[in-house]
Amino acid sequence: MKKVLSMILVFSLFVTLLVGCNNSNDGGSTGSGVDGEVVEIDFWNFPNYTVIDDVPGKYEEALVAAFEEKNPGIKVNVQMIDFKSGPEKINTSIAAGTAPDVLYDAPGRIIAWGEDGALASLNDMIDDGVKENVSESILRASRAGETYYMYPTHHAPFMMAFNKTKLEELGLMDMVNLEGDRSWTTAEFEAFLKAINDADERGPIVFASSQGGDQGTRAFIANLYDSPITDDALTEYTVNSSNGVKSIQWMADAIDSGLLENGSAYDAGTAIDEFVAGRVIGTLLWSPGLEKIKSEGLNFETVFLPYPNSENPKLEFLVGGLCILDNGDSAKIEASKKFIDFIANDPEWGPKNIVSTGSFPVDQRVAVNYDDPMMTYNATMSNNYSTYYNTIPGFVEMRTYWFPTLQAVINGDKTAEEALNDFVEKANASVK
Amino acid sequence: MGLSMKKKSAKRIIKKDDLIAYAFIAPALIFFATFVFYPILKGLYNSFFEYTWRENTFIGFDNYLALFRDEIFLKSLGNTVKIVVIAVPLIIVFSLGVSLFIYKLKSFSRSLFRAVFYLPVVTGSVAVTVVWRWIYDPYSGVLNYILKFFGVIDDNIIWLGDSSYALFCIIAVLLTTSVGQPIILYIASLGNIDKSYEEAAKVDGANSWQVFKNIKWPLLMPTTLYIVVISTINSFQIFSLIQLLTSGGPNYSTSTVMYLVYEKAFKLGQFGYAASMGVVLAILIGTMSIAQFKVFGKEVSY
Repeated sequence: MKKVLSMILVFSLFVTLLVGCNNSNDGGSTGSGVDGEVVEIDFWNFPNYTVIDDVPGKYEEALVAAFEEKNPGIKVNVQMIDFKSGPEKINTSIAAGTAPDVLYDAPGRIIAWGEDGALASLNDMIDDGVKENVSESILRASRAGETYYMYPTHHAPFMMAFNKTKLEELGLMDMVNLEGDRSWTTAEFEAFLKAINDADERGPIVFASSQGGDQGTRAFIANLYDSPITDDALTEYTVNSSNGVKSIQWMADAIDSGLLENGSAYDAGTAIDEFVAGRVIGTLLWSPGLEKIKSEGLNFETVFLPYPNSENPKLEFLVGGLCILDNGDSAKIEASKKFIDFIANDPEWGPKNIVSTGSFPVDQRVAVNYDDPMMTYNATMSNNYSTYYNTIPGFVEMRTYWFPTLQAVINGDKTAEEALNDFVEKANASVK
Repeated sequence: MGLSMKKKSAKRIIKKDDLIAYAFIAPALIFFATFVFYPILKGLYNSFFEYTWRENTFIGFDNYLALFRDEIFLKSLGNTVKIVVIAVPLIIVFSLGVSLFIYKLKSFSRSLFRAVFYLPVVTGSVAVTVVWRWIYDPYSGVLNYILKFFGVIDDNIIWLGDSSYALFCIIAVLLTTSVGQPIILYIASLGNIDKSYEEAAKVDGANSWQVFKNIKWPLLMPTTLYIVVISTINSFQIFSLIQLLTSGGPNYSTSTVMYLVYEKAFKLGQFGYAASMGVVLAILIGTMSIAQFKVFGKEVSY
């Protein structure tokens, strides 16, 4: 009797183990598009769209519902990911073979995944109509070689922003140029920061922790004394020029003298939150999208300003778009293409999606009218876009070296020249 | 003939019993083989390859050679060793001291202190780090506020952004999350020491220090050995605190081998290189553990 009981126990343990380990696909409807079956695709999105009712993903659910209504043979599962842990989550899912089908992101990562063979080609989607109505610089950012991996949808500049309400209270708005592209020199910017400091207000934080938002501080350094991060041909990093050294030294001195805040322990998100909370008067990273996302927490008016530059400001910019992960299922890829086409080009949802990102359409055929001086100004700043280097090979690796470079200078571990030379050496080694 | 039959029957019973025993351990064994042993072997195998998203080429020991030319890895290795060397003795001394103090208290107070010290262990590391981020915040953190209030410092210190302080700040957080279990274990071990030993020693004129040194410490040695080994392994594998508090900064001053493994593998897709780091770390932990067993094991009597 005991033996029988033992054997039953052992058997049940085995069954439990097997059931536990079994990777069951009990969704039932994840079919591969065989006639009559519903094709199920997974859509992952960063918080690119406006959050409705404080519920992340609510906008996406409405978007998907509208798509599914028009495409009854396709079911879309939405999953929201955040900017901090999202990229690693995607990398892990690609490695584990559990990647989503559609992803909304930017060329920096998308092109790298494309070159690694993780994405499906979108060449058939980028037809002549798209090519005629989207600028070549944005098209170039969407492809690797001759293969398009991203369907671009929107763009927006990255800028600085200041607390206009506070500046008016302090009587400092007359130090800000509100004409034309609002450009200003580093000397004018320094005088402005000194006035802020004299008024016992805290200047912008030079955030240098984690990795996100690094484009803001790179653009800041690249503009101060006009030292481009890369050459125009995107073959090497050039920010260790004498002007680059001068710029980063200026930044370190400004921190030492209290004009800028030491942010070696702050990530971009925290630095932006400090600005939104009104505890610092400016931020080195802002965009129309951020203005929209943070609008509920903002109790003051902001003023967008370009990075100071002796000539014209040269801005880094966001290009957003969608890619398809090649999970080896042609039906899913086709369904994903329909979904992307809906997001970008549906007469109702196309413009609505652009507005929800707080940015501008890359395709001239998508009409979005912002009746807002802030958006009008931002739209004109596309004339100041600098060379888009986010698709340079090894871009993702380069990013890991940027904040340690700033931290080394801020902490005095290295001179400005040593730190930049070290950065360029490592970054160039990543250009494979 | 009868004897031989009996032997055969006994063997059959043993075999059946063995079979049942093996069947019972099979689930655990399958789990161990699948999720521990196989990944270890696979990691070792991968470390000999240029294994990225796009390629998987055998390169022999090149990853290992590159490791020892990689200044970021060497700095991270140095930081990891520094954390172990500082944190482990502090964990032992602190938890033993607290246990000796708590053990004398009444039941309620003892339970209260045990709960207090164990709380950070059961609290998720994300929640713990959120609190510590606030404590260390350079502008609104409570640590700077207290130190300024008592006149210890004049200007705010950027605790997690200054390479002079950041690693020690991490070690302080590590201590709070690491002493809970040792305290529980030490209190349990102290309860197992026969009181008659202490009483006899006191009758013979031994003072408190002599009682501790000659009676309690030797009898606590098995527990100490366990705590030393576990704390060393945990300290070597420190990752989440680094990831959540500093991301290895400023300028790699808090970067550890485990953090670098994560960065290389999951941010950059350099799986082969990350695997070689993991192998080096495993060898280091294994060597340290064997050394600890050799050194402390001599004094352990069960």
